[in-house]
Amino acid sequence: MSNANDNPQAGQGRPLPKKDQDLFRTVVRHYETKQYKKGIKVADTILKRFPNHGETLCMKGLILNCTGKRDEAIAMVKTGLMKDMRSHVCWHVYGLIYRSERNYNEAIKAYKQALRIDKENIQILRDLSLLQIQMRDLTGFVKTRHTMLELKSNQKTNWLTFALSKHLIEDVKGAISIIDVYLETLDKDSPDVKKNYESSELALYRNMLIAEIPNNYQDALEDLEKCKHLVLDMHLWLTTKALYQLQLQKYHDAKETFELLLERGSTEDYSVHSGYMCAILQLSPPTCTRALKIKGARTIANTLPLTDDQKDILLKEYQNTLLDKYPKSAAVKRIPLTLFKCNSQEWKTSIESYMEKHLIRGVPSLGKDLASLILVEKEGEYVIATEPCDIVINPVYQNITSLVDGFVDSLETNGSFPNKEGKQPPSTLLWTWYLRSILHELAAHYSDAIKYIDKCLDQTPTAVDMYEVKGRLIKAAGDINSAAECLDKGRELDKQDRYINNQTVKYMLQAGKEDVALERMALFTRHESNPEQNIFDMQCYWYEMELAACHARKKNMGKSLKKYMAIEKHFEDFNDDQFDFHSYCIRKVTLRAYIDVLRWEDNLWGHDVYAQAAEGIIRNYLDLYINPPKDTTEDAEPDYSKMTAIERKKAKAQARKRKKKAEKKAEEEAAEEKDSKKKSNDKSNPPKIKDTDPDGKELLAKDPLEEAKKYVATLVKNAPNRISTWLCQYDVAILRGKYFMALQALKKADKLESCSANHEVFSRLIEFSKLEIKVHKHAAVQKVFESERLALLDSKTLNDFVKDVVDKVK
Amino acid sequence: MKREIVIDFGGITNDNVEQLRIINSTSLPISYADGFYKDVVKAKNESLNKYAYHNGFVIGSICCRIQDESKIYIMTLGVLPSYRGRNVGTKLVQSVVDYAISEEVRSKGVQEILLHVQIDNEDAIKFYQRLGFEKGEMVENYYKRIDPPHCYILRKKL
Repeated sequence: MSNANDNPQAGQGRPLPKKDQDLFRTVVRHYETKQYKKGIKVADTILKRFPNHGETLCMKGLILNCTGKRDEAIAMVKTGLMKDMRSHVCWHVYGLIYRSERNYNEAIKAYKQALRIDKENIQILRDLSLLQIQMRDLTGFVKTRHTMLELKSNQKTNWLTFALSKHLIEDVKGAISIIDVYLETLDKDSPDVKKNYESSELALYRNMLIAEIPNNYQDALEDLEKCKHLVLDMHLWLTTKALYQLQLQKYHDAKETFELLLERGSTEDYSVHSGYMCAILQLSPPTCTRALKIKGARTIANTLPLTDDQKDILLKEYQNTLLDKYPKSAAVKRIPLTLFKCNSQEWKTSIESYMEKHLIRGVPSLGKDLASLILVEKEGEYVIATEPCDIVINPVYQNITSLVDGFVDSLETNGSFPNKEGKQPPSTLLWTWYLRSILHELAAHYSDAIKYIDKCLDQTPTAVDMYEVKGRLIKAAGDINSAAECLDKGRELDKQDRYINNQTVKYMLQAGKEDVALERMALFTRHESNPEQNIFDMQCYWYEMELAACHARKKNMGKSLKKYMAIEKHFEDFNDDQFDFHSYCIRKVTLRAYIDVLRWEDNLWGHDVYAQAAEGIIRNYLDLYINPPKDTTEDAEPDYSKMTAIERKKAKAQARKRKKKAEKKAEEEAAEEKDSKKKSNDKSNPPKIKDTDPDGKELLAKDPLEEAKKYVATLVKNAPNRISTWLCQYDVAILRGKYFMALQALKKADKLESCSANHEVFSRLIEFSKLEIKVHKHAAVQKVFESERLALLDSKTLNDFVKDVVDKVK
Repeated sequence: MKREIVIDFGGITNDNVEQLRIINSTSLPISYADGFYKDVVKAKNESLNKYAYHNGFVIGSICCRIQDESKIYIMTLGVLPSYRGRNVGTKLVQSVVDYAISEEVRSKGVQEILLHVQIDNEDAIKFYQRLGFEKGEMVENYYKRIDPPHCYILRKKL
């Protein structure tokens, strides 16, 4: 930890005698090798003779902290520091203690203090740099790493981290030159110039940097060729090459590269197909960038608007060349479905045989698969239709439905597909009914859908999948209780199926049966600990989210808040977990993945899951603000003044009884805890974290509007693309009387989703327009406010505006 | 047989025993107590207690036990109504017969398979006769809650 030549008593001006100096060094060694008991023993030997030796006290405190005795440790370290403020060792240990408590800001201060005393201590510099990157103090990080590189320029990690630090402050060219200088220092026999995982990753990272320079694709492409001999990840190499070629509009070359990718086996990778299509159609570079970002099993064929001619070109390519080369590829067989003209005979034949094959095979996801073919236009692109009103009028949907109806008739009457030979086993009919039910579900025809799923259950009552769909349909039709029961019946059939168990839990929570839900959940949690704790440890946020919503519906606001806070804690853990990766990734040279992690962590607080939890918290606090809980707890003293003498006597006796009961319970719990503590000391179990506030009373005691404000601020900063962020902002602003904020929130919401699309925006807009607000004493400001408010209504009167919106919706 | 369907066999465990209840309730006129199902699960013998699966779903089952150390007794046999007439029941019984004549079981002294059938269940009697079972004596008032309450014993010597 400290240099062997360091004077351990530099601050006090009196060095320790040689024997004790050696002992001190062994203390440090024991700490580093995690031999804590030995370390404490040796430290005590030194302290017997030099009880005021600050550095030994600090080291002892540090070791105590590692063995879990946190409070004692902190006290000891503080004492040690007091006795020797000019020792960098003491400050370093002080910083380490803060770091273990995750108080990173204080830790940085402590390290900086230590560095002031010993400017070139590598260990302290390293600890400081880890904290700086953790807290994203990027300028500090660059400086520290620069110093470290100058002190030890023979360490590879120092070069790489310095380059990375330049990259993070967006000095890409600087980063590249640092890597180049490093590579020049290597001689011919070094392993880093041979082909292996580390040099491959470094080369790809360097290439990524070159491509990040704007309009630099030609250089990037040339560099990619030059480093091919080092690269192990050929799939990535080819994908990147194809990307560059598309950006440089070298369409013929790009097509060849994509063909290579398909030959290597990436036939099911839809982004490769998208790229291949871009190359054939020679689309513009920005379109190509967009195309390669399409998620899931979709290509440009069902995302971007293509002309009929373009679709014909692609169709020829797929049906002639690709289908011959890759006859077994599911993607190659499926993509033409998105290219045919909708009502053409070819499309009908194609989709008919596609469906038949999947129904014979019994593919449960066929319904979802076909649903992805039903598209609706939105802002110049195509998205999958979700609204029943859009789906019902869609010609693709109507054709598919009539085909399936034909299947049902034919299979029911003579057991075979229309105009096809061969008798089908009963399972084919089962899956056809299932598909028909799901098609009804898409169009929100719930009673028809239930009719078909009942046919399925009649025929094969042991089919768990059918119960799931029936439950979903019943829930959609409005009866969550029966839905939960139905799902539970299905769950009973196969108690090893964790998925159906989780679905049952979800429905039970939505039906307000949280005790049953916990029972079911406990069937799959680890049996040693209490199930709620296990759910928390596994960061099982879906359960916590549903449970929180369940409590909120039942107006148990404290419990609801506790669950939402648990989700927030998971995200805090995600943030803290990145700490170890700062050193690990550099050592393993997984630089691109590391950059991805850093960028993901930067957007952590805008993550959908966190946003949902934060919104839950905000809604709960707003509810508490508007409807503060009345003090009708059982423990509260009843109002004695309003009773007669006899009633008073009775009430007091009852209160005394209750108190006694509560005391007895507390005694029993204390005795139990003592017992369990004894047991746990014997078995050295990890200490059970007892929840001292299961009902969330502490959370309820906070100021609801203040808390809501805090969470809304986080959302506004990190999740501005979520419409619910702005709806929350509006609601909180109105209650706080901040009308300009409310106005801004409405404007942002309106831009994201207009009133005709989102009724939440609409109702708030109307309410806002009707308010008589005196927002500012200055007439000019008030005027601006009023005119902006009017602009929200497109400068119409309230009635006209409402009429227009209604017309649009129709 | 043209209408024959492909089936697989699988064991009956505590996690899937509810499906046995469903098969029994759709195939048999009497209902069985919880103890019956507990015993089947406890026996853990897939050769005597098994499901018939088709395309991933349970469509039939057979449950037997060893009686008096010399007989195999078929307690229940059932196939979902929509899947009958496709050789499933036959395959279930045949698999037990094959097990019964195997070396390990023969060496234990098992000599016959038997079961009870309600006297008016013509289809069942014909079904077992086709498989080589013989109609034996009648047992009066065997059943408590169905009519007719009498049954035949059907036997197959191994």
